[in-house]
Amino acid sequence: MIWQNYQLGNAISKTTESITLWRTEKGTVEIGKNALAIPIKLDDQQKGYVFHGRGKLLLDTIVETQEGAVGRPVENELNGLFLMLGDTEEMQRHLDSAVKEDLAKMGYNTEQGFIDKAEDLFDNFFGKKGIHGHQCCGNNHGVIFAFPNETGKLDKLIAKGSKLVYKATNQTFVSNDDKVVLKTPSEVIVSGGNRKSLVIKKRMFHRNH
Amino acid sequence: MVRIELSEDLKEEMKKLREELAKLKDQLRDVTEREHERRHGIYIDVGNRIRDHVEDVMESVTEGIQGELEKSIFIGPGGVRITRRRETPEEDEAKLNFPKAAEVMSALGQEHRLKVLKELIGGGKYINELQEKLSEITTSTLSSHLKVLEEAGLVVQEKMRGRYLITIPGRTAYKMATRITRFLERGNQE
Repeated sequence: MIWQNYQLGNAISKTTESITLWRTEKGTVEIGKNALAIPIKLDDQQKGYVFHGRGKLLLDTIVETQEGAVGRPVENELNGLFLMLGDTEEMQRHLDSAVKEDLAKMGYNTEQGFIDKAEDLFDNFFGKKGIHGHQCCGNNHGVIFAFPNETGKLDKLIAKGSKLVYKATNQTFVSNDDKVVLKTPSEVIVSGGNRKSLVIKKRMFHRNH
Repeated sequence: MVRIELSEDLKEEMKKLREELAKLKDQLRDVTEREHERRHGIYIDVGNRIRDHVEDVMESVTEGIQGELEKSIFIGPGGVRITRRRETPEEDEAKLNFPKAAEVMSALGQEHRLKVLKELIGGGKYINELQEKLSEITTSTLSSHLKVLEEAGLVVQEKMRGRYLITIPGRTAYKMATRITRFLERGNQE
């Protein structure tokens, strides 16, 4: 196994149309037209992108219990930088080189301005010392997103097939098919499917059969 | 303070949930693990970092559950007991959020909205399914009612599938409306 560092590329692209970056029955991440993109590379292989543009994140972080539904869907308008790691092959067909005007639309005077911001996010996610990774073959389409939030931390979405982890400031949502764990500031819900669930609230213990 | 002794099967249920959570944790770990046997495509693995993220999340959830259980449950030699402070009616009234209470009561104060809640108690439904049950009103009126119920927190809509689900407060509110109505009807008969 050859261990190498993930690195940010330097070729800045723009999206030529809206792209659905990830979609399942639980949620979707989309990026709009004219968003800036800079590749994340491992060796010469493209492993993801840092984007800056308009988009949206929808996530049904709702748990159904016999006593009723708990949780609210996440509906975030994306309008800044975010990072994605995953299969980028299909995406490359919807990208074109960005020119000065494209950068200016996003508020950057120079390419370096965007690269600096992307590096900040990259460092925030991977750590300043850099992260080592390895590659291998497979048709495993896992995807990872990191969205900076208002606290300066990252909301993270990790998904592969029906498995999903979403960790944000005010909630954690873990699901695997019909098994779900939702943690909010006021309660923790563990659902084992068929609406069987355990709801733990502050100063309250509630069990559904 | 009140103490409610719970049956042995709760302990068993908690044990099962812990085991299930551990299984879920293991399955989620798979997200970051290599799969050599796969033949095509590109597999993204950023090594320990992502594994750490998943671990962090699961730790956070597990700690949250344990923390809340420790706060609310006393485990002694006699078994599991819930320790819970019961508020006096005066405290309940003093804490009542009047604007929110008015919003909820207002949302309940319409016959068709109550019918919507009744339909949703049976499980999540798409708007066309609700429309079939409430054929006396138009789709736009039904949408307006759903919006009111959603704003009051009695109903939630899935963004991806579009189904409407009744929330725990929604179910409680419907039960409350049913009980008050029955109580009043009984009073009138007497």
